[in-house]
Amino acid sequence: MRAPSRLLGSAIGAVLALSLSGCGSSAPEGTGQVKLTLWHNSADPAPLLEMYKKFEKQSGHKIELISIPSDGFEDTTQTKWATGDRPDILEYHATASGLLALNPAENLRDLTGEAYIARSGDLYQSAGAVNGKVYAAITGFPQVFGLYYNKKVFTAAGLTPPTNFAELAATCPKLKAAGVTPVFESGGSIWPVQILPILYLAGANQSNAYGKAIAGHSSTLADAGSPFVAGLTAYAKLQADGCFNKDIVTAKFEDSMKALVTGKAAMVAQHSDMLPALLAAAGGDQKTVDESVGFVGLSSDKPLVTYAPGPIGTFYLPKTGDAAREKASLDFVRFMTGPAYAEYINASKTFPVFTDVPNPQGVSSVLQDVKKAYDTGAVIAFNSDIPGMGGLAQLMSELIAGQKDPQKAATQLQGQVEQAAKAAGLPGW
Amino acid sequence: MVMRNRAAWLPWALPSIVLVTVFFLAPFLLNVRFAFSSWTSFRAEITWNGLENFRTLIDQDLLANAVTVTVLYAILCMAIQNTVSLSLALALQRTSRINTVFRSAFFLPTLISPLAAGYIWRGLLAPDGAVNSFLGIEWAWLGEPSTALAVVAFIDAWKWSGLITLVYIAGLNSIPKSLLESATVDGAGPWTRFRRVVFPMLAPALTFNVAVTLVGALSAYDVIAATTGGGPGDHTRALNVVMRQQWGQGFFGSASALGFTVTLLVIATAVPLVWWLRRREVAG
Repeated sequence: MRAPSRLLGSAIGAVLALSLSGCGSSAPEGTGQVKLTLWHNSADPAPLLEMYKKFEKQSGHKIELISIPSDGFEDTTQTKWATGDRPDILEYHATASGLLALNPAENLRDLTGEAYIARSGDLYQSAGAVNGKVYAAITGFPQVFGLYYNKKVFTAAGLTPPTNFAELAATCPKLKAAGVTPVFESGGSIWPVQILPILYLAGANQSNAYGKAIAGHSSTLADAGSPFVAGLTAYAKLQADGCFNKDIVTAKFEDSMKALVTGKAAMVAQHSDMLPALLAAAGGDQKTVDESVGFVGLSSDKPLVTYAPGPIGTFYLPKTGDAAREKASLDFVRFMTGPAYAEYINASKTFPVFTDVPNPQGVSSVLQDVKKAYDTGAVIAFNSDIPGMGGLAQLMSELIAGQKDPQKAATQLQGQVEQAAKAAGLPGW
Repeated sequence: MVMRNRAAWLPWALPSIVLVTVFFLAPFLLNVRFAFSSWTSFRAEITWNGLENFRTLIDQDLLANAVTVTVLYAILCMAIQNTVSLSLALALQRTSRINTVFRSAFFLPTLISPLAAGYIWRGLLAPDGAVNSFLGIEWAWLGEPSTALAVVAFIDAWKWSGLITLVYIAGLNSIPKSLLESATVDGAGPWTRFRRVVFPMLAPALTFNVAVTLVGALSAYDVIAATTGGGPGDHTRALNVVMRQQWGQGFFGSASALGFTVTLLVIATAVPLVWWLRRREVAG
């Protein structure tokens, strides 16, 4: 009886020793080259993935990509983050609210003083920085939120795309009469249904006035007649008027892209980083997208687009305590923001965030529309600096299901903001 | 005598005791304090904050609804699974080639990942999906408040009924044939035989199945996440779904409080239920 036990013990010991020996850094000794882990959004476009490979080739370091699904991206990242697991490079939101949830002072390396910041205009006034310290390296053009519309549908109906909510409400019955779903909303994916109310609020949020008032606690979301309650009320009215698709509760984001490209729906409220998904919905045919889809700004009363620095191409360097890997990850940031950046912009056909990098040639017409709308009038998303706004999409689901009215939803969300703002120790709370 | 019995019993129970201690008891005891802490992703300090997390969840209308949804869902899952599985077990009790094929077919969903099962059913039950095409109707099975919870419970039942059926078949096959023959000789018809002989003799299988299905459904997450994500509105937002949402927003203390609530609910349900069912076995 004893011998097998000893044998078993030795076997378990051997297996444990072998598995533990594989757990450390796999840096080849003496080469100065290390393996870096990069938690990245699964929606990273091909040109960005190509940049990771180019860095590997140029530096000799290896990058282990840990893909985080873009559906539920924030939840999954936070869940991994909460376990204490840290990548060498983290791709994540550049908004102050997203950044605060990472407890940057404790967990992230301060990148203030890096050369790319001076080349980024005033970008870091509204993104990637907290308490005067820059933590992010933003390489992607901000996500520009507005209204994608099907040009053929509008031409056939003899209409022009709406640029404010009154026009949107007036356009709905005409499009319905033409047999088209006016606005396609995808409640099955949950997050997209918060976009229309956020667009509505652009009118009240010029110079981020409304966002600052909520974050600073001088106003609350639930104040009587607040812009937020007005936005939810306008949304509820559109729903009551039948402006949305019947399957609003179950439809997924991908369904909205398909409905827009095929002309089943006239409009979808979305952001510019979803252009690859739009292209995929068109079977990869850029010509179809360019011929059928346009983009305009929309707010409560003016043609404004809403922007938010997005997670795609926004990098943070978590503190890991490993000097070699920390050096290599800083090299990564310098590579992504250095001379190779112009190549990336040309390959991705997106707009640069660095003032010394020219716009790419051959940009798709829909992206040109996005840029045109952005240059005409852009307002930062009101919720960018407000922590605790992650519950907005869930509350929109309840609003759509008729379980909450706008005032109640606003009161509940204000409670979540208060919970987060107190936890983050924001002044005024 | 007692010592000898204990000595004989311990080696058999030891693996279970170790597993429960390492994977349940120790993590539970080590983590329960977080339910009463200010743990968030926004700051490093974690301080004791008493019942604040529970108060916050109540103030935000999250706790009561989640408990109600969870309990309703668990009861539905338990009822559907046990009714369907007992019927299947009675139909497939005899060991024959055709019954073996059917048993395997009904067992197959058990082998599928719950998330995969959820995604498959979400596609089938979509307004323009195969189920509506077959029935010739237009109904958002997972999008209508009146049907969403029951439909998700049905999917969970579809997933697990094969396993529960096997337990019932084992229970049925352990009933002595002589007992059933005596009942028949005494003039008992099929229904009376089932009610007076079969069902009481199935008590151990019933105890296991009711406890497993109920407790399993109290900690539901995967099928709900894959089908409705907690919607429409909050109609299928069970405790673990809210826990995930709180966690995703960085409110780890509140998420832990919800996890603690699930544990309390499981203990409060399972202990008296198993005690009552075991007494019923003895009485039977």
